[in-house]
Amino acid sequence: MARSALSPAKFVQALIRTEPLAYTGTALAWIVWNIWPLVPGILAKWFFDALSGHAPFGLTVPAVVALLFASGIARAGMMRAASHTGVPMRFRMRSSMQVNIIARILDLPGARALTHSVGEAISTLRDDAEAGALAADWPYDALAGCLFASGGLAILLSVNARLTALVFLPLTLLLVLANLARSRLIHARERSRQATANVAGAVGEIFHALQAIQAAGAEEQLVAHLRNLGGDRQRAMVRDVVQGALFDAAFHYTMNLGAGLVLLLAASAMRDGTFTVGDFALFAAYLMQVADFMGFVGYLIGSYQQSSVSFGRMTELLQGAPPETLVRPAPLVQVQDRAAMQQEREDPLDLLTVRGLTHIAPGGRGIMQASFNLRRGTLTVVTGGLGSGKTTLLRSLLGLLPASGEILWNGRLVEDPGDFMRPPRVAYVPQVPALLSGTLAQTIRMGLDVEERALTRAADSAVLQDDIAMMEQGWETQIGTGGMRLSGGQVQRVATARALLRLPDLLLLDDVSSALDQETERRLFAKVLRPGGTYLVVTSSAFLLRQADSVIWLEDGCIVAAGSLDFLKQHGLPCR
Amino acid sequence: MQRNTPFGSYRDLLSRYLSPRLAPAALMGCCLLAATGLQLATPAIAGAFIDSASSGLPESGLIRLALLFLGTALFGQVANLLATLLSERIAWQATNELRIDLTRHLLSLDQTFHAHHLPGELIERVDGDVSALSTLLSAAAVDLFGSALLLCGLVVALWLVHATLGFVFGGFVILTAATLEAIRRRAVPLQTRSRAGSASYFGFVGEALDAAEDVRANAASTYVMARVRAHLASWMPFYVRAEVSGYAVWVAALVAFGIGDGLAYAFGAHLYLTHALSLGSVYTIVAYAALVAQPLGTLRQRLVELQGADAGIVRIQALFRERSTLEQGTAHIPHGPLAISFADVRFAYPNGQCSEAQSDRSALRCISFHVAAGRRLGVIGTTGAGKSTIARLVMRLYDPQEGSVQLAGIDLRSLRLAELRAKIGYATQEVQIFRASLRDNLTLFDPAARDDDLLARLEALGLGQWLARQPDGLSTQISSAALSAGEAQLISLLRVYHKDPPVVLLDEISSRLDPATEAALDRALEYLLKDRTAIVIAHRPWTLEHMDDILVLAKGQVVEFGERSVLAMNPQTHFSRFRRTAFREVRG
Repeated sequence: MARSALSPAKFVQALIRTEPLAYTGTALAWIVWNIWPLVPGILAKWFFDALSGHAPFGLTVPAVVALLFASGIARAGMMRAASHTGVPMRFRMRSSMQVNIIARILDLPGARALTHSVGEAISTLRDDAEAGALAADWPYDALAGCLFASGGLAILLSVNARLTALVFLPLTLLLVLANLARSRLIHARERSRQATANVAGAVGEIFHALQAIQAAGAEEQLVAHLRNLGGDRQRAMVRDVVQGALFDAAFHYTMNLGAGLVLLLAASAMRDGTFTVGDFALFAAYLMQVADFMGFVGYLIGSYQQSSVSFGRMTELLQGAPPETLVRPAPLVQVQDRAAMQQEREDPLDLLTVRGLTHIAPGGRGIMQASFNLRRGTLTVVTGGLGSGKTTLLRSLLGLLPASGEILWNGRLVEDPGDFMRPPRVAYVPQVPALLSGTLAQTIRMGLDVEERALTRAADSAVLQDDIAMMEQGWETQIGTGGMRLSGGQVQRVATARALLRLPDLLLLDDVSSALDQETERRLFAKVLRPGGTYLVVTSSAFLLRQADSVIWLEDGCIVAAGSLDFLKQHGLPCR
Repeated sequence: MQRNTPFGSYRDLLSRYLSPRLAPAALMGCCLLAATGLQLATPAIAGAFIDSASSGLPESGLIRLALLFLGTALFGQVANLLATLLSERIAWQATNELRIDLTRHLLSLDQTFHAHHLPGELIERVDGDVSALSTLLSAAAVDLFGSALLLCGLVVALWLVHATLGFVFGGFVILTAATLEAIRRRAVPLQTRSRAGSASYFGFVGEALDAAEDVRANAASTYVMARVRAHLASWMPFYVRAEVSGYAVWVAALVAFGIGDGLAYAFGAHLYLTHALSLGSVYTIVAYAALVAQPLGTLRQRLVELQGADAGIVRIQALFRERSTLEQGTAHIPHGPLAISFADVRFAYPNGQCSEAQSDRSALRCISFHVAAGRRLGVIGTTGAGKSTIARLVMRLYDPQEGSVQLAGIDLRSLRLAELRAKIGYATQEVQIFRASLRDNLTLFDPAARDDDLLARLEALGLGQWLARQPDGLSTQISSAALSAGEAQLISLLRVYHKDPPVVLLDEISSRLDPATEAALDRALEYLLKDRTAIVIAHRPWTLEHMDDILVLAKGQVVEFGERSVLAMNPQTHFSRFRRTAFREVRG
């Protein structure tokens, strides 16, 4: 259930604290704007009283008409002022929530980073952050509502107390109605949001898988899939909107009931002149306002409930980070996007000890009690069958997956592998690397501030130089979305260069040569695996197995054998 | 982009998607008419009440008027509610259809389009823009139309009270509407730019989330966050200007409303003081003027949304105008196994500015070969030699710049694209997995797929045990995160065989499989390739043993082509050298 532990009010409070000045200005302008509708009612009363010859303060009919003109224009000015401060503020609030969520996702261990599809995450970042930022209007809207209601009530009481009391009876009923309708509204809203997210997720997957769909000729089948999801959303949405409209209609009608009551009750008073046409105009005008006002209250209640759904969804994306993280100030100032490499290596790797490393995935698969050593200057190869846990082993070691067991770096316990097993200590080239669009140089650097020479060296070691020479723009070539304009083999070598640039003590390679031909594969390993470096490599390449100082053989998540290839062969293990 | 008036572009879309729904639309129109009439009746009843009360009508008459007032209001609300229900339904049906058409259209576009458009951006267009249009359609029906109706009704009602008033207010409403439209139109380019900023921002965010693990493993989150902030910072000025210009419409509406109100009071006072109208009629006029605020306000609010949808429509239509660069023919493909041939094919990827003089940057340089029907061709060569390009050209993801690719002796360009792709099974090492059941992933949502066939095929491929491990069998919900790369690869292969195509292209499909699975696949290959024409790109030697012919590529050119057994016999061939290194390595 998308419900946050923190109430929306707390989130809103924190959001306001990030923008005290702009918020105060915007709030003042909107408050005046919201209570302004009380003015025309009074002017209407004065107008009819002046027409029938007993105007207050000796106002003439033209003077009242002039005031009416002025009042409308003043209200417009208030809105202009409010939009000038309010719009940039809303953008900043929304952005800060988005930035906080994205930063948190990027900070989480890989497999836990996103439990939803990217399309769904984007839908939350887009719509729920907007709803959250809108919720910041709530305090001043609510305050303006209170001021408006009490001001209007005071004016009405001073005109005719009995009628006021009788008209307010239906209002009380309304509030009860609002409370009853509350639980249904939030339910329908959540369902329609979910249906919307499903459509967005499916649309995202379709465009990600475009080439596969085209190649399979499955366009119509996916369109049908999308059509089903669209139908679900249509039903959820119509229900959501119609429920809201029903709510509004009930509000409005109850107000008309109030107006009808005024007519019924004022009939005799009007005939004997104790209730003037001016008084009636005031009552009628305010009743129209009350209808709008109840709509406004309904909107406030609805938007509060909706914002709690939205805050809930955003908190869910934070995956266990304290909810306050969402509303931390995150100013949009340009920050340094380049980090210099740590030159001082404290505690360079001599021996990495892994004891009882265990990770069980929700499906029951994973790795069990993996223990091994990695000595400086050695090459260790991990091998095993399909789904035997090779990648899981690497990812657990890196802290990309939550795992139990111990990792010791030179004998010292690594508390948080996710934080510790990162460059410059450890670098990792995944089996299916994800590249960020930009130039080739940007992609390999990923913000690392090193000299041109280092970049060239890394590219050379990753056997990329020939490819770069072939590219028209060389280092400045745009690689396209996720490296779309590179071949599979190039993507793997770009990712390898990216890791090498970070000069890690320990380099983890997960099947990086899968898209390479044997010749390129050999050249790559000859250049990447330098004497003195420490390497943990997942591969099924026979020549690397022979070259390895040690081979770890996995089966169903367990290390069934470890040692040199000769040792493994002597013990008759399935080695090709 | 050329047409700035929204109405021209709306007409096409509206007529296309609303015309099938004329009956409910007409019913909705009736509901709106009723609601409007009832709404106009209430101030007149109140005016009559005032005049009756001051003229001393008996209490029972007054009560009858009050009850009439209550009944009128009730039916007005009911009619309004019905109109909302109908319009929502119509709007969602129409936009669902539009979304489907747009998706279908985008799926028909080729790589030259998709290489330049991030999936995140297309999501924003198909989902964001189309949803904005849906809001517009539902709102347009009830609110835009309803408000316009009410405004017209008000003018008529005022004209009935006093002819001059009708003319003055008619002019006033027209002037206001024109002013609002002018202000609104000025905001459209701002909205377009703001939405473009939004699309590129969310495009990047989507990409960054896709790459979350790599970002973390490279300690590059600072870099990514800096780029996220840079996107936001460059989007913000356009967003602010677009939104503020949206409020400007609202501000203008308020000023107009203030003026209209003032006019009603001024005229009412004048007519009352010259004894042309009763006090009750003055009240009715003033109440009508107050009613103008509501439809004007609604128009204002909806026009702001119209701005968003406007920009959306411009962009949706721009997408519809995108055409595939692949021309389609009309020729049909004969039944049975098919031959594939390349004749003097030269090809370079379209993203570069490749001119004639730079032919060395071409992916393929003057390639010719022929694969007879039912034969299997193995393609080997170093990375970047152009192996994958051959498969992509057969698949017609691109067209060659020179020369001709033929299937059964017919140039691909004269075939129907859908028919061509239906005849070819194509598996690559890039595999996209849907968050859906295993069954839907294997068949790509084919409703005609039968479980027996799927199970038999899995069994034949030696995957029975693997399936048994899945908790819900074929109904197991899978996602790319929960599968190993090898499993994903197998799924892509099974997708190919679900089609049962006469031609098969396999592009390094065994690259992510471990030796054991690869060996199982190797055994299955014989079954898989039976009676089909195949091009298999491989860099592992075992797969090649199933091939009839071998093509060796280097730098986009054919360096060797011939029957496998012949090439294998001659120790001097590239192929023989390739085999020797490969097998020596394996045997150790």
